[in-house]
Amino acid sequence: MSKVLSRGRTPQQWGLLAISLAVLVVLLFPVYWMIMTSVVPSKELLTSSPPLVPPADSASLDAYGEVLESRPIGLWLWNSTLVTLGTALISIVISTLGGYSLSRFRTKAQQAMGFTLLFSRMLPGTLLIIPVFVIFASAGMINNLWAVILVNVAATVPFTTWLMKGFVDAIPAEIEEAAMIDGCGRLRTLWQVIVPLLRPGLATTFTYACILAWGDFLFARTLMPNPSDWTITVGIASFIGEFSVDWSGLMAAGIMSMVPMLILFVFLEPFLVKGMASGSVKG
Amino acid sequence: MTDVLTHAPTTQPSPPKRRRSRAQRDRIFAWSMLTPTIAAVGLLMAYPIYIAINLSFRGGEIADLQNLGQYPLTLGNYADVITDPQLLGDIWRSIVYTVGVVVPAFAIGLGLALLLNKTFPGKRIVRPLALLPWAVPGVAVSAAFSWMLDGSFGVVNYLLRSVGLIEQNVAWLASSDTAMTAVIIPTVWKFYPFFTLVLVAALQAIPGDLYEAARLDGASAWQQFRYVTWPALRAPAALAIVITGVGVFREFDFIFPLTGGGPDDATTTLAVRIYNEAFEYFTFGASAAIGVVTMVIAGALLLMAGRSVREGMN
Repeated sequence: MSKVLSRGRTPQQWGLLAISLAVLVVLLFPVYWMIMTSVVPSKELLTSSPPLVPPADSASLDAYGEVLESRPIGLWLWNSTLVTLGTALISIVISTLGGYSLSRFRTKAQQAMGFTLLFSRMLPGTLLIIPVFVIFASAGMINNLWAVILVNVAATVPFTTWLMKGFVDAIPAEIEEAAMIDGCGRLRTLWQVIVPLLRPGLATTFTYACILAWGDFLFARTLMPNPSDWTITVGIASFIGEFSVDWSGLMAAGIMSMVPMLILFVFLEPFLVKGMASGSVKG
Repeated sequence: MTDVLTHAPTTQPSPPKRRRSRAQRDRIFAWSMLTPTIAAVGLLMAYPIYIAINLSFRGGEIADLQNLGQYPLTLGNYADVITDPQLLGDIWRSIVYTVGVVVPAFAIGLGLALLLNKTFPGKRIVRPLALLPWAVPGVAVSAAFSWMLDGSFGVVNYLLRSVGLIEQNVAWLASSDTAMTAVIIPTVWKFYPFFTLVLVAALQAIPGDLYEAARLDGASAWQQFRYVTWPALRAPAALAIVITGVGVFREFDFIFPLTGGGPDDATTTLAVRIYNEAFEYFTFGASAAIGVVTMVIAGALLLMAGRSVREGMN
């Protein structure tokens, strides 16, 4: 306790806090403006000098109620949740196995994987959706959430496998050799010895896969023509093109689409920095 | 002679043989662990690329995408696409968009990373907030900015008018002079946190003694950055720039909901053109040909950046 107090805060540190707050005000203004718009009735916003803070007498959460009533937002959020969790869980399993293999066994696959990562980032999604649509149409899987999950897994796995390889690299091989001498099989060693040590890596992979799958618009839009199967991003995009946009409702829907990711992010963000430090992008 | 050579190992007693079979078991194990990754990437990336390339060589009115074999093979799509002067414009706009996003996103990301690497009260709350845009779905980002940049009621116009930077409202998304800027801004907002994340991680890996030693030698703040910080950041920064750059080069989620590629094609990048050819005009062959051209261009850019990437991945 006294140690904490004696460390104290220098004026310079308070200065840095002030700078940070100023920066945050600018960077997070779009989020503020979404919240602000969602609680002010549309007619008060459609003026050339909109209020910068919600007027106390007219601010309300009505827009949330209205948009939930007029569109199946709950259903879309649920579909997004299924796609996101499915993608994240499958990606974690696949990339843990793959990352372990790439880290512990030196094969040609290792080099190829690095290029696959960059190559997959390079592919225009708009080019892939026609073939992807054809593949899933042949398999009778249009309007099937598994189709979206599988495509998102394919989009996530090159990067997360590379990320997991970095995490396994950081675990000394002696640990598993000791376990194997004690008679543990390779798979059991991986599950009982390595996986518990990989927790920051699993959290990083999970967060990355969730952000990617939750944000996916193109694949879900192409593979899910049926509005009741839409994910939240497809639902939101359907607002934007409308003749007269209900801005309060759209921003309310936007906020609702952000909240699950924000909660996830607050919990897992500390792992991300550690993850990046020990993972793929070290210098 | 050859007989002797090939049979030589089997005349040896069993130990080396057993060792080899263990290595073989390891190989099988290594590859079977990698199989799901290869399957996912192969089935859902390699095979679609094959179909796209196949499609790009097919002529005629393509209506049945599931049986491409019935359409004649041709180079016509490529001939049409490459001789169309619009292609150069699309490539140019893709490059403008990519550079326009990556440069400011990197600058903001680096500035924030340097700030967040310092110790100050409340940092634990500031850091996730600063990284937050990364977690916001691209479509929600587009929705927010399409409202903020609205020509009549947008808050951006209001703020710029209030401080006297503009006198008349600017129709950011509806005017071909400003549309590119208007789609770049939300993309920067979404992508800067990735740079911050990577650079903060790299900064934390720098041992504090290095700065102490530099200070003892009388290095100024700028010299410390130039000779201690920057060398440690260079490789991860290069890798992050390339990963983000190729990602932005083919980005679709911001431009399409905001402008659809308009007005007057002012924001039609290669990715948007591929989509519009296929889903507005239903010229699938041409769409696929542009897609393949895009892949080749991005691949060439990637190779040019190859050296710094290899350093970053080591």
